[in-house]
Amino acid sequence: MKIKRILIANRGEIAVRVMRTARKMKIETVGIRTAVEPNAMYVSLADVVYDNTEDTSEIPVYLNVEKLIRIAVETKADAIHPGYGFLAENAYFAQKCIDSKIIYIGPSPDAIYKMGNKTIARRIALAAKIPMAMGSEGNIGNEEEAVAIAEKIGYPVIIKAASGGGGRGMRIVRKPGEMEKMFIIASKEAEKAFNDPSVFIEKYIENPKHIEFQILGDTKGNIIHLGERECSIQRKHQKLLEEAPSSALDNRLRDTMGKLAVQIAKAVNYYSAGTVEFLLDSEKNFYFMEMNTRIQVEHPVTEVVTGLDLIEEQIRIANGETLKYKQDDIKLKGWAIECRINAEDVQAGFAPDPGKIEKLSLPAGPNVRVDTGIQVGSSVIANYDSMIAKLIVSGKNRKEAIKNCKIALDKVWIKGTKTTLPFFRMLVRNPKFLDGSFTTAFIEKDLEKFYFNSEYEETLAAWLATKLFIEENLMDDSINVDFENSKEMNPWLLNKRINQF
Amino acid sequence: MALPRLKIKRLYALSAENKRFCFPQPLKHSIRIGNREYEVKLKADEKFGTYILWKNRKYPVEIIRSRQNKYEILFNDISYNFTVETPFSMQRMKVLSSGRGKNEQEFLKAPMPGKIIDVLVREGSTVVRGEPLVILEAMKMQNEIQSPVNGKVVKVAAKANTNVMKDDILVEIKVE
Repeated sequence: MKIKRILIANRGEIAVRVMRTARKMKIETVGIRTAVEPNAMYVSLADVVYDNTEDTSEIPVYLNVEKLIRIAVETKADAIHPGYGFLAENAYFAQKCIDSKIIYIGPSPDAIYKMGNKTIARRIALAAKIPMAMGSEGNIGNEEEAVAIAEKIGYPVIIKAASGGGGRGMRIVRKPGEMEKMFIIASKEAEKAFNDPSVFIEKYIENPKHIEFQILGDTKGNIIHLGERECSIQRKHQKLLEEAPSSALDNRLRDTMGKLAVQIAKAVNYYSAGTVEFLLDSEKNFYFMEMNTRIQVEHPVTEVVTGLDLIEEQIRIANGETLKYKQDDIKLKGWAIECRINAEDVQAGFAPDPGKIEKLSLPAGPNVRVDTGIQVGSSVIANYDSMIAKLIVSGKNRKEAIKNCKIALDKVWIKGTKTTLPFFRMLVRNPKFLDGSFTTAFIEKDLEKFYFNSEYEETLAAWLATKLFIEENLMDDSINVDFENSKEMNPWLLNKRINQF
Repeated sequence: MALPRLKIKRLYALSAENKRFCFPQPLKHSIRIGNREYEVKLKADEKFGTYILWKNRKYPVEIIRSRQNKYEILFNDISYNFTVETPFSMQRMKVLSSGRGKNEQEFLKAPMPGKIIDVLVREGSTVVRGEPLVILEAMKMQNEIQSPVNGKVVKVAAKANTNVMKDDILVEIKVE
């Protein structure tokens, strides 16, 4: 193994995830300690810690190409893993690593660039004869042009950022009257998020399923797929739950789509792990959407059903090794579901709810895997995404996986922020989720209530409110808390008060 | 505000949706389902923090807000708002609410901390339910904050390019 020490150019759960595999492979890791979360879990797991707490720049170090290269050189790391987000799909960063004789654990800068630019990716997919939704030839210059093209394709259309991803710079337009406003919003958002205001237009596929294929390729030109993931449970293009495989695909469709996914990857001489995203409509027509040139948040469900360690494969490929598997070696076994437990307020439209994690207890067992970068005392801070943990649950089939998921969800105990747990508790009881007929419109259109509570939970909460009222107002020895003057109390301090009752 | 204890025979917890939960006073530490009483225990320990133990299951609980007789309780990761009323205050509330007229004011609040990107209405604008009023950027996503009601804008507190905290009032609307 050429790779002896990896700089993790990331934080949170993915930093922890990469470190876990590196340790298994007896490779050392370098973690970066930052001023905003100096005591993060990933820092404690790194073999070497680079102290960057003096750096108080507003831009996170994980986005600072030159600095990261300097840190790698200084800490004698021979490779860099970008994780996801930040610089994970930045061709310049990948090239800089190569120029500095540091192994970039990911695809070539050329593949990152081509697939990262959605208009170029569209042209490549078109040339490779991959089914695609009708759309603009290239980027759109102004509102008038946008209106003209949308007229030609027919509404509804979707505006997408050329350099985009993750739902940012993306807007659906249903009527010509909305185009001007939406075009400006999408373009502004794209500029802010990706430093590139250019957008293009595609026919909007109504109520599709989001199906993506995991790709693995080596530097010798071998490319295979590891089956699909279904990621239709999403809100504003942010995925909340993913599963593998998808109940919408049979072996024949899986084979067809998988081959096309490999074909796209081949068109850019892809190596490392990557994901080809498709939309699947109700008639089982599918359309290429984009290719993500990095490891994805939802990679664990593929690991569970294939038995592969995708981070290990990434490292081996970066090390120049040949893929050990041929397409026929890949057998999907069982079913896996991932719930993204985020610090969000489901009752307030999934608004982020940052805070300090006061108590944490996570389930374990043969069917349960938890990937997290959070421990008791960690804070979910507004600077970064709101993820607390990924709960990955498996079973021998979908029904059993859902059953196991239901049990596991009730074993997750998090105090300090509101979480998406009540949403998943609802989901695993929803008929449309259970029968698999849900689409990407599920959360926005099919749901009236975003959380689940059993019949008596509200009664018990009412009982607690009444008990508090009695303690405060009706007891002779009521405790002295002046609620008239202290409008808000620290919500997580009930503990101390109860001990006084 | 110590209340005369002896006269109060029961208490009501009213939910935000006006569901009424009646509890006898003194409060029993049990909840009845059908003919059976199930014991409720309020406990706290180092590992789990505060919780309610009911029918052999632990439920995490927390007080989010407590002000006079108003409580926001987080129970099993879901928040509930209650006002606790005595039979007297219930009676008084009924009298008061019967005299309350229409012309309610709606305060559109920031659902999350963030930065105001654009304000799409002015004082005096007529708005309809679902109409976007403010564009708020939070965690790098631009969110349309929509009007929850039909009405007329009476005050615009939100200013473009300023930061707001969660629950800051953005727009006041007179409901029509």
